[in-house]
Amino acid sequence: MSLSELRAVVAQAVKGGDFCDLFFEDTRYTSLTLRDGAVSSGGFHRDYGCGVRVLCGEKTGYAYTESVDYNSLLTAARAAGSICAAASPVGPFKACGMTPGAYYSQQKDWGLCSPSEFTGVLLSLDDKIRKGDSRVTAVIAQFSYSLSEIMIYNSLDELSSDLRPMASLAVSVVFRKGDRIENKSVSRSFMCGAEFVSGNLVAEMASDALKGVDAMFEASQPKGGNMSVVMGAGASGILLHEAMGHAFEADFNRKGQSVFSDRMGSRVCKRGLNIVDDATLPSARGSLNVDDEGVPGQKTYMVTDGVLTSYLHDRISARYYSVAPTGNGRRESFRYEPLPRMRNTYMENGSDGTVEDLIGSVGRGIFVDEFANGQVKIGEGDFTFYVKSGFLIENGRLTRPVKDVNIIGNGPQALSDIRAVASDLAVSPGAWVCGKGQSVPVSCGIPSVLIGNLTVGGR
Amino acid sequence: MIQEKDIARLRSAMGFALRSGAQACRLTLSETTSDMVGTLNGEVDKVSHCFDRSVSVCLFVDGKYGAFSTNRLDDMDSFLVTAIGMTRLLSEDAFRKLPARERVCSGAVDGNELALCDSSYVNVSPSDRMDFALKASVWGAEGENFKLVSEEGEYSDSCSDFVVMDSDGTFCRQKETSFEYGVEVTVEDGKGEKYSGYWWTASPFLADFSAAGIGREALRRASSSIGAARVAGGRYNMVVTGDAASRLLSPVLDALNGFSIQQNNSFLCGSLGRRVFSEALTVIDDCHRKGESGSRLFDSEGVATAPVPVIENGTVRRYFLGTYIAGKLGMDPTVDECSRARVCPWPEDGMDRDAVMRKVGRGILVTGFNGGNSNSSTGDFSYGVEGFYFENGTIVTPVSGMLVTGNFIDLFKSVAAIGSDARKCMSRLVPTMAFENVDFIGE
Repeated sequence: MSLSELRAVVAQAVKGGDFCDLFFEDTRYTSLTLRDGAVSSGGFHRDYGCGVRVLCGEKTGYAYTESVDYNSLLTAARAAGSICAAASPVGPFKACGMTPGAYYSQQKDWGLCSPSEFTGVLLSLDDKIRKGDSRVTAVIAQFSYSLSEIMIYNSLDELSSDLRPMASLAVSVVFRKGDRIENKSVSRSFMCGAEFVSGNLVAEMASDALKGVDAMFEASQPKGGNMSVVMGAGASGILLHEAMGHAFEADFNRKGQSVFSDRMGSRVCKRGLNIVDDATLPSARGSLNVDDEGVPGQKTYMVTDGVLTSYLHDRISARYYSVAPTGNGRRESFRYEPLPRMRNTYMENGSDGTVEDLIGSVGRGIFVDEFANGQVKIGEGDFTFYVKSGFLIENGRLTRPVKDVNIIGNGPQALSDIRAVASDLAVSPGAWVCGKGQSVPVSCGIPSVLIGNLTVGGR
Repeated sequence: MIQEKDIARLRSAMGFALRSGAQACRLTLSETTSDMVGTLNGEVDKVSHCFDRSVSVCLFVDGKYGAFSTNRLDDMDSFLVTAIGMTRLLSEDAFRKLPARERVCSGAVDGNELALCDSSYVNVSPSDRMDFALKASVWGAEGENFKLVSEEGEYSDSCSDFVVMDSDGTFCRQKETSFEYGVEVTVEDGKGEKYSGYWWTASPFLADFSAAGIGREALRRASSSIGAARVAGGRYNMVVTGDAASRLLSPVLDALNGFSIQQNNSFLCGSLGRRVFSEALTVIDDCHRKGESGSRLFDSEGVATAPVPVIENGTVRRYFLGTYIAGKLGMDPTVDECSRARVCPWPEDGMDRDAVMRKVGRGILVTGFNGGNSNSSTGDFSYGVEGFYFENGTIVTPVSGMLVTGNFIDLFKSVAAIGSDARKCMSRLVPTMAFENVDFIGE
């Protein structure tokens, strides 16, 4: 399609409105699955189409088409433009005028690879795991990669494009000891090419899958209650994602729904703490050269020196708050309108020593290091996250292993109750997915932190 | 709706796959049209119109199996050639095959045998949708102890049509319409604390659809949480409303899935035919109810479904075994998953939530779960809860910051009562359920 045709479609759509963008996507996803020692299922999937969005004031019209010929796009444009009958325009949006980043690439192009090159990765992983522990009874592993070609054109005559590679390897292992069964899952996911596949990757994942199995069989749900929680570096970043990140998404704040709606510029945690949402981490799962509104990827400080300094904006909320978009406009696919979403969310290093120092300062509590999922109630700020494994802390020492407990807290209270932050920041390499009516890949990270008081499930 | 020409194209693609090296194949064509009007604070905020069409292809090539999908129906031949090539790269798997002919559904031909498709769908206009969405709004409502700060509503309707066909002659079709409205409200109390509440309704039929009262219920749910207190932890009786109890049933149904059983990754391994739960628990896959959401005559392979007990008086009666996994387990195949689970009342019919609370007397009424998860191997669970402390069958106070912890087998052994108040708009019919002596973590 020519630029003049794109302009004609956008002109049709934006009649009576403030802004229109077209989001073209062609995604090809390939997967291979190992089960019972053989790579006996696999496939590929293709998704292709264009989403048309029209903004009129803060109101949105959206339509998409799986055929990207001129007439189909015009039909979608008219459907999206129907919002203008129910809204009043307030004037055109401002152009972004920033240069797209280059935070991921393919050293080895997926398009030049055959899926058969990757069956060995799965077989090798299966072999290492089975040989590494006689208690292994089942291994399911899935290797997948995708390439998304994105093009965005809007009524400001901005044209941007992106090629987004994504590679993931996930393994789920079942162990049996006597009549007891336990399971463990490990994943790695990065935005990169086929260089993702290496002997190191297999060795590292096999090692992680077999780590802590003894403790898993010894572990039990602890006696629940309110206690101090030391969150290990890396995957504990789910705390930031659930307890703070969602509540900092600007749409919730623009609508007055977030517990942080009226707290911009106020202190939310102790001095020295910085919490960022960063699209610029090389090859990280949530990185973006441009977001799904064509805004360049960037690093956004949500909390600076303990003070709330920025929400996460798409174009709508940025205009509402009279700030520049932060490049957080994201969508699952062309089927969805963009919303403010997190990317790679983490806390920068603190200066309160090591994780051992943090554990040593706790009389009774738990140390947690593996997680399954989390959730938040935006208005109340109440969050939960599910702990797959950890240890009880008694008198400053790790004692018995714990597992399968839910932890509940309140976002603003937990932030203000962060007592100590170590200097061991790690960003989790796992295949994290954030859901908000639509799914997007993210990552999260944190240095080890001590929170004074959370409610821990148990018996 | 899928047209004859689309089905002809599907047959042509199947013929091409067979001529190109596949020994068998299954194709599923699905089409969905959907429209939505969203409101924010009593005004239209969003409109959307969507049309989706995609084909899923399962290929059986030289004893190997691959699964593929695309929404580029104009390019099926080259897609199939590539797919067959990829399938050949995989390992052989003797258990991959189409279902036996005698198991396949033959009574789903025009797609509306279960009467789930409302012909008046096509008459709904854009202005009707705006009316549905706006008239349901309660923006401006006032209360003595709260201020309404946000109301986000969404009316949507859809029409879906899908066809499953395979190279052994299977042809199954199902058409469905749906009309839905959901709303989330946020209120603020005198101290500036926010509370949110969500409620929704749905129907396959426009004539049965009514959004009246949905906003009020969302508002009631939000404002009733004001003043939530931290209650002491301990063992309480637990009453769970039907919409929330559905979440407790899911891990049990997942544990009966053949893939989990085959991998020994289920807390219900070896349970078939054994009494595992309380005699009070009976769950039926009530999948042939005409005009009721969740009903279906066939599963994803085209295998005929049947209304059968899944759990009967506490005894496990059914694993969900598709053709492949049944072969691997050396068991008789059933269907791939439960279609429309219905939990039966106990000990008597006719109890609603309040009657169940009166029967139980004192405990925690759970109206929603906030996060949490379970261990699929052991059945251990831990969830955050939203709800109320009650005594003598009457609500005393909303609770906050509470967690419930336990094991699913133990939990479903401790059933105290099961109501008859499942919401008809849900595809899983779970009424209010009560359990004895459940561990809660609180203050």
